[in-house]
Amino acid sequence: MTKKLRFFDCNCSVGRTGHPHLFDIPDAAGLLQEMTTAGIEEAFVYHTVARDAHPPLGNALLMEEIKSQPRLHPVWVILPHHTGEMPPPHQLLPELKAQGVCAVRAHPTRTHHSFSLAEWCSGEIIAALEAARIPLILDTEIVSWDDVWSLLKSYPHLPLIMANCSYRHNRFLYPLFEKFRNIFVETSRFMGGGTIEDVVKHFGAHPILFGTNMPQYTGTAAVALIAYAEIEARDREAIAAGNLRRLVREMWP
Amino acid sequence: MTGYFERIHAGLSLNDIEIIDMHAHLGPYFNMHIPASDPAAMLRLMDRCGISKAVVSPNLGWDSDLVLANTMMLQVLAAFPGRFYGACAVNGNYPELSLDELDRCFRDKRVVLIKIHPSGTKCRLDDSRMGGIYEFAERRKSPVLSHTWLDGDLYGNIDLFASTAKNHPKIPWIMGHSGGPYGSWHAVELARQTPNIYLDITLSMCPARQIEFFVKEVGSERVLFGTDNPFIDPRPQVGRVGLADITDQDRINIFGANARRLVRFL
Repeated sequence: MTKKLRFFDCNCSVGRTGHPHLFDIPDAAGLLQEMTTAGIEEAFVYHTVARDAHPPLGNALLMEEIKSQPRLHPVWVILPHHTGEMPPPHQLLPELKAQGVCAVRAHPTRTHHSFSLAEWCSGEIIAALEAARIPLILDTEIVSWDDVWSLLKSYPHLPLIMANCSYRHNRFLYPLFEKFRNIFVETSRFMGGGTIEDVVKHFGAHPILFGTNMPQYTGTAAVALIAYAEIEARDREAIAAGNLRRLVREMWP
Repeated sequence: MTGYFERIHAGLSLNDIEIIDMHAHLGPYFNMHIPASDPAAMLRLMDRCGISKAVVSPNLGWDSDLVLANTMMLQVLAAFPGRFYGACAVNGNYPELSLDELDRCFRDKRVVLIKIHPSGTKCRLDDSRMGGIYEFAERRKSPVLSHTWLDGDLYGNIDLFASTAKNHPKIPWIMGHSGGPYGSWHAVELARQTPNIYLDITLSMCPARQIEFFVKEVGSERVLFGTDNPFIDPRPQVGRVGLADITDQDRINIFGANARRLVRFL
């Protein structure tokens, strides 16, 4: 019998959204129920208000919602500091550490939070994240692969997690996997036929992190994707939780 | 039929229940890399989780050459008897050729469905050129599987799908993807009003509690298991149904019994 997998999810949220896929599951209790149904122990969590409304407001709501929830770990949504909406890096980074934030998300581009990831706009905050080895999570649907390449090249020690990466993205990802060790992809939509085995065969298990996008999506699909993967048990365990735990351990060198 | 949670988490095949994939494809595709796109690789993924049969229509059937697609499909049925069954690709832009293809493909008794992809072919479900195809389906009592989406699909949105299904009540209509990730609410409304509609669970963006919702709203007898293999790995779809909070009988229905009621698998 295979050893029971322990899943640690890098892509969950709490909070209401104006466009739920099906059910409104806004609170930590609902997320925890979904996690239990799928058999997922722990999760990185951001607040949808930080994504869909305003990062400082949503980040504060997140800390209130998940306090006293040891299975849930905070992820903040960030903006560059120039407008004064978020503090500059020398103030933000100690705050992230004090609050136990495990990763940050950014939602650049004009149709989302309206800023650029380029050095002239986001250089200071991204350099600070790199120095602290704080993972940066980007939504694949809203950033260009050329921007991803520039980030990886400019910040080689920044752990960059591509969320919402679908079964259509292998031709973008594989050249990046070849060139960089600091790019990671989560599994919520990374479900092309045989892709997990193919990535592990060519690049190893280290670029793959378990993720579900609960509670918008069910966690059961991603669990089965990894549980049934025809890879070595140690690689399955690394994808299920080990790779993410390593990123957490490597924060704040 | 117990212990699915433990068995799926342990990566054990669900071999005590028949699992039939009513929505699968085959082969490479232009805008993505598919590592396991050949039939042997697809079978390997199916075996890993317990899928016994898959009804396939090659990926190039709607964007490219439907005759080549159907030929590939027939070759695979012959090469892997009992494991693969066929969905004949048709295209309303080629009405006469489509009828020829239906005649050719349905000579093989392992061809059990008609597959249409309105948005891929840019031919609406209610296009007059589709008429002969629907007449064939009615005559042969063949289910029609159509790709559908909730919005942004001028050619095959779920309202158009439902009105077409109402106009052809003798055909069992499979609502591919059930309108996509935002389509579930409207899909069940339409299915309630239209008894010859079946909901297909195939998706990469799988809404939480969707399987339970479909079962509660329309009954498990009208929900069909599908995967999009090899576009999408079939194993997550097995997990969705295997771990859903539904009864054992619901799981039997969705995984295979409903497919058996719709189609005769030789």
